[in-house]
Amino acid sequence: MSDVVVLSLRTAPVGALELAGVTPDRLAQLPQREIAALPVRHAGRGAALGDFFTVKGERAARVRLEGDLRLAEGMGAGMMGGELVVEGHAGRDVGVAMTGGAIEVRGDVGDNTGGARPGAARGMVGGEIVIRGNAGEDAGAGMRRGLVVVTGNAGRGTGRGMIAGTAVVFGQTGPDAGRWTKRGSIVACGPVARPATFRYACTYRPPHVRLLLLYLRERRGLDVADRWITGRYDRYSGDLAELGKGEMLQWAGE
Amino acid sequence: MIINGVTIEDTFAEAFTMRVARIVITGKTARWAREAALKLTGFATSVIGCKCEAGIERELTASETPDGRPGVSVLFLTMDKESLPQQLIVRLGQTVLTCPTTACFDGLPAAPDRLAVGKALRVFGDGFQGSKVIGGRRYWRVPVMEGEFLIEETFGMQKGVGGGNFLILAEHPDAALAAAEAAVLAMTNLPGVILPFPGGVVRSGSKVGSKRYKNMLATTNEAFSPTLRAIAPSALPEGVNSVLEIVLDGTDAPSIEAAMRVGIRAACLGGVRSISAGNYGGKLGPHHFPLRKIMSGVTA
Repeated sequence: MSDVVVLSLRTAPVGALELAGVTPDRLAQLPQREIAALPVRHAGRGAALGDFFTVKGERAARVRLEGDLRLAEGMGAGMMGGELVVEGHAGRDVGVAMTGGAIEVRGDVGDNTGGARPGAARGMVGGEIVIRGNAGEDAGAGMRRGLVVVTGNAGRGTGRGMIAGTAVVFGQTGPDAGRWTKRGSIVACGPVARPATFRYACTYRPPHVRLLLLYLRERRGLDVADRWITGRYDRYSGDLAELGKGEMLQWAGE
Repeated sequence: MIINGVTIEDTFAEAFTMRVARIVITGKTARWAREAALKLTGFATSVIGCKCEAGIERELTASETPDGRPGVSVLFLTMDKESLPQQLIVRLGQTVLTCPTTACFDGLPAAPDRLAVGKALRVFGDGFQGSKVIGGRRYWRVPVMEGEFLIEETFGMQKGVGGGNFLILAEHPDAALAAAEAAVLAMTNLPGVILPFPGGVVRSGSKVGSKRYKNMLATTNEAFSPTLRAIAPSALPEGVNSVLEIVLDGTDAPSIEAAMRVGIRAACLGGVRSISAGNYGGKLGPHHFPLRKIMSGVTA
């Protein structure tokens, strides 16, 4: 047993490398040899994790992935607990359908972070995803519970079809954010292209945003400015074409 | 044992096991947090008449609270598990929910016994309320005219200690009051302890039941009442003309003991003849605080 399992990219993939089964809760049960033998898919063909990664450590619920993983897909998909840290960029489907634990990506991610599996009605139902970079489209789409944080910009459809949960974007939030949202919160510290089906309610200092941003600063080590923690937010309710119990909180100044 | 000319009597305080919760109230300013805490802890001196005992444990700086605002920590005690959530729901709903700018957090997050206080109060939102999970703890957002009231879903409950005490036996009322004030000042802001009575001081220490009135749960303690010295058995040494009591509740016995040590030492002023304590012969309460051992620095 070790403190952390480190997976260092040894052989760069030439096509999509699907890592959906490589989750901390699973690796916490396995010796090093079995971790290396875990099945993955590369460019549509079966392969073993050890074909691409050097494995250090075993039986640990903390996992660190190293290397250029822009072609790696589904990291932390369905994970139920533990901690997954990606030291660099990651591909699409990070943390899809996850139910617990924490993912941190120290780089950009592709589309559908924390979203739903193909054909599924809902995305992540628990846990936390922190992207220290930019996110592609549909971050937090269909999420039922949990937290997605993007320190940079987020693409089109952030929080699209959210059922509940929270998405925080410190940079720019792309168009169609929150479209078809039932409940849940999108906290936009930067500019946001808001759908017309969100209606302005008031400008106030939401106490839970203060608590959440302090948590992100103090417990997750994010560089959250005071102006966002103590600031005023415009509250928009939506999507009024849906249940309308969701909200978009757009930072409005100190 | 004599401290600064004051006799520490060879007796002990007898205290009871209670159930305790710690409530952290924050506000835009320390003033608003304090306003809510004062209302919350009003009329909560003794379980005999108030069904609960509560007091401000200490004031908290912004860096000590979950939302980074100034706050107040309150200890809240009842005799049994069932009445603690009942009292908290009623009192928090009428005093903290109503108070401008405040938010309410659990101060015993590690306690395994959880009281669904915020979960009960959320229904004030009449279906418009919502919840958020932050750092593994669920909070309820209750819409109110001011904006939103934020309260944690559950509060921890643990066993505590109620009824720690000591008596200040003085030559005259002014000396007793000065000693009591000094003791309270010395014990203010000590962790894990509250002094639930007005200003931390009790002038009407009681005995259990009544010699004359069947329906009375507690009546005057004539043994320590100077005006009755000539007509009732008295426990007062000669020259004592006024007695004041300090009652302490806390999260655990060591906290009470530490506070008693500080408070008794501060109370040993001119005009005070002795320090005593209230007990029931050791038969009712499981917690005993021997004064001389405490003042010798020996853990009771």
